[in-house]
Amino acid sequence: MVLAALTGVGFTYAYAEQPALVGIDLQLEEGRLHGVVGLNSSGKTTLCSLIRGVIPHFHHGDLTGEVVILGRPLLDWDPAELSRTIGCVFDNPFTQISGIRETVFEEIAIGLENLGVPRDEMIERVESVVEQLGIEAIVEKNPNELSGGQRQKVAFASIIAMDAPVVVIDEPTSQLDPEASEAVFEIIEGLKHRGKSIVLAEHKIDLLAQYADTITVMNEGTVVMHGPTRDVVGSDEFGAYGVVPPEVTELGRRLAAAGKPLDRLPIKRAEAFDEISVRIGRSTHAH
Amino acid sequence: MPIELNGVGFTYPDGSRAIGGVDLRVDDGERLAIVGQNGAGKTTTVKLMNRLLLPTEGEVLVNGASTAKRTTAQVARDVGYVFQNPDDQLFAADVRSEIEYLPKYLKWPDEKREERCARAIELTGIGDHLDTNPKDLPSAIRKFVAIAAILVSECRYVILDEPTAGLDSRGLALLHGMLDRLGDEGVAVITITHDMRFVIDAFRRVVAMADGAVIADGDRRDVFLDDDILRRSRIRRPDAAQLARDLNLSRRALTVDDVVELVP
Amino acid sequence: MTNNAVAAVADRYRQPMTLGNAVLDIHPIAMVAGITALIVVGLASAGWIVPLAVSALFVGIAYLAGRGPSYLVTILKLWIAVGLILFALRALLVKGETVLVPLGPIAITREGIENGLRFTTAVMVICGGVTLFFAIVSMRRLMLALERIGVSPRVSYVILASFQAITDLGATARVVLDAQKARGIETEGNVFVRARAFFPVLAPVFLTAMTATEERAIALDARAFNNPGRHTSLLNLKPLTAVDTVLVVLSLVVAAAAVTGGILGWF
Repeated sequence: MVLAALTGVGFTYAYAEQPALVGIDLQLEEGRLHGVVGLNSSGKTTLCSLIRGVIPHFHHGDLTGEVVILGRPLLDWDPAELSRTIGCVFDNPFTQISGIRETVFEEIAIGLENLGVPRDEMIERVESVVEQLGIEAIVEKNPNELSGGQRQKVAFASIIAMDAPVVVIDEPTSQLDPEASEAVFEIIEGLKHRGKSIVLAEHKIDLLAQYADTITVMNEGTVVMHGPTRDVVGSDEFGAYGVVPPEVTELGRRLAAAGKPLDRLPIKRAEAFDEISVRIGRSTHAH
Repeated sequence: MPIELNGVGFTYPDGSRAIGGVDLRVDDGERLAIVGQNGAGKTTTVKLMNRLLLPTEGEVLVNGASTAKRTTAQVARDVGYVFQNPDDQLFAADVRSEIEYLPKYLKWPDEKREERCARAIELTGIGDHLDTNPKDLPSAIRKFVAIAAILVSECRYVILDEPTAGLDSRGLALLHGMLDRLGDEGVAVITITHDMRFVIDAFRRVVAMADGAVIADGDRRDVFLDDDILRRSRIRRPDAAQLARDLNLSRRALTVDDVVELVP
Repeated sequence: MTNNAVAAVADRYRQPMTLGNAVLDIHPIAMVAGITALIVVGLASAGWIVPLAVSALFVGIAYLAGRGPSYLVTILKLWIAVGLILFALRALLVKGETVLVPLGPIAITREGIENGLRFTTAVMVICGGVTLFFAIVSMRRLMLALERIGVSPRVSYVILASFQAITDLGATARVVLDAQKARGIETEGNVFVRARAFFPVLAPVFLTAMTATEERAIALDARAFNNPGRHTSLLNLKPLTAVDTVLVVLSLVVAAAAVTGGILGWF
C-alpha cells in the first residue's frame, strides 16, 4: 500500500502570510525509509506535520489538494487513531518529553499506558527499547534533568516502544554526537527491516545517503526532487538547493574535475572505497 | 593577551566532576576546535573561559587577570559566547534593535556604535533582515543574528557552540567567510562541535577531550592521525580521511583535496 | 549499568510499589486525609498549645518517614522568616488590658502575646502541614490514586505539568540569564543593574515557554494521550489497605470531633 499520497497539496498556517507548502505531488511507499532534506524553513517540518496529521488536526490553516494516508483521506481519519498509527518525534528534545514522570523508565512507558497495554507487557517493551538504545545508565534518572542529547534518546525510545507501523521523525540526532547519531540510524534501519515505514527529516546527509531508500528534497515549500537515494544524491542538481552533498560524493566530483573521474559517482563510503580500489589496481597494473 | 586555563577543574555542587586538570592556552587571533563525545567536558571548558562558571580548582586568566575578580558580563566583553540555541539570546522586536542593544546599553558614541553594528551585520550577512522580528526568521538566520549580537561587542575571543548545526551550504559558506574575516582582524575563535568536516575545513588546532580531560591538543593532522585519541574521545575521521587510510594511500591525508591528490 | 540492573529496575515495577518506609508507603489519599485532619485539629483549638503540639507531631512524622532533617530545616526557616514576624506584629499591635512592657505609645500586653501565639501557631500549623505534604506525598502517586477513583487523566496531567512548569521556567530562566551575561549584559549588582536586565531575560523565557507548551501538547498526542480507550499504569499502586482505610475513617472522625469540640469550646 501507499503510505502517503499527496496531490497538488498546499498549506498556509493560520495567521501566516506566506504558504508553507505549495503544489506538492508526492508518493511515499510503505515499508521504506524516506529521507527528507532541504534548507531550514524549506517546508520539511510542515511536511512531516502533515503526514502525521498534526496538520490540520492540531495546527489549523488553509489546506488545499488531496492528502491520502494509508489509503484513507487525511480528513477522514480519527485524530486519536492517526496518532496511534503514526508515531512521531519532533526535533526540540526539551519539549518531546512529558514533564510528568519521575524516571526515564516511567517516561518511556507513558505511550504504552495510554494505549492500555497490560503492565507486564509494558515493562518488557520498555526494557527492550532501553537496551536497543543503550540508555541503561539513565533509566532511573529524572527525565527533566537530562541533557539535550539524553532527552533526544529518551523521546525516540518512547516512540519506538509504542511500535506504531509508521514513524515520522524530525531531526532525531540534532543534539547527538556522531557515534550516537549512527546508533539512532541503525535502530531506524532495524525498524524498517521489521516492516515499518519511516519518514525522516535530517541534515546529516552522509547518514541519509547510507541508510535511506528515497530522498525528497524540499525548497521554498515544495518538492523539487524525489526519487531513489542514489539518483537524487548523485544528481548534479542536488547541490543546487543548498544541501551539502556527502563528502565522498564531493570527492568523486573533485576527482572528475581533476581529470580523474570514477566510473560511478559514490554516495557511500564503501562505494568510494570500491571505485578507488579499482582505480588503484588499474594504475599499478599499467605501470 | 591570551586566555589561560591553569590546572582547571570543575565539580558541580552535587559533587559530579565535569572536568579536571585542564591546561589550555588560547592566543590572540587563534582558531581552535574542541571535540569529543557528549559529556566529555567541552561545554564546561568553554563556560569557564567566559566565567559562566568559575573553576573549583586552578585558575582561568583572561588578558592576564583571573576571571574570579570580574563579573561574567565584564569578561564577556573580552570573550563572547554564542549559545547553540539562538532563542536563549534573542529578545528584541527586530533584528536592528537586537544588534544595537549592547552598544546602546554601553552608551557608546553614535559613530562607534554605527561602525560596530555595520561590521557585525556585514560579517554575518543579515543586512536584508534588519526590520524583521527575529522570531519570524528561519533558525539558520536567527543563528547569525545571535552571532552578530555578540560580534558587535569588542570581544577578542568568540566562542561558537555547534555553529554548523542546521546550516545549509549557503550558511556554511557565510560561516567560513566570517571566520576568515575574524582571523584577519585578529579575533580568536573557539568552537565546540561534533561536525568533523567543519573542524577539518576551518581549524588547524584541535583539542580532543574525553571524560573531563584534555587528551590531545595540537595540529589537526596529528590529532586525527592517532587511532587511540579518536577511540578515547569517540570521534571519527571524516569519510575522505578514513578512505585514504583504508586504501593505504596515506595515514596523514585529511581533506578531500588531499585525497584527490593521492588518487592516481 | 548492566542489563541485570535494568532487569532489577523492571522487576521493581512489577511488584506493588514500595518506597521502603512504612510511612511513605501509606496510601496517598490516606496521607492527605491524615495531614488535613491534623491541620483541622490545630486550627479548631482556641489556644496555642494544641497547634504547637500538632506542629511538633508533623516533625515527628517527617522523621518516621525518613525525611526529618530536611523537613526540620525548612520548617525552622519558616518559623524564623514568617512565624517570628507574625508574632511580633500581633504582640505589638493588638491592644489589651494587661500591660506587660510599656513601650511609649504602644505596649506589649498579655492579650497581645496570647493573640500572637494563637495566630502564629495557627498559621504555622498550616505551613507545617503543607510542607509535610510535599515532603512525604509523591504527587505522581497521589494523581494515580485520584485517577483510580475517577479523576480524569487530563486533570491530573494539568496538575502535574503545572508543578513541572515552575521548575522548567526556572531552568529556562537560568539558561537565558547565562546567555545574556555572555553577550555582555550585566545581571549581577544593584537593583538598577538588575532592572535593566529584566526584559532581555523575560522575553526569551516567555517565548520559550509559549512554544514549549504547544510542542509539548503535540508530543503528548503522539504518545496517544488522547486515546479514548482504557489507560493502564506502569506504577503498581497498592490499593487502600485495611490500615489505610482505618486511617481515612479515623481522620474524618478526628476532624469532625475537633470541629465540634472547637465550637463547643472544649479546647
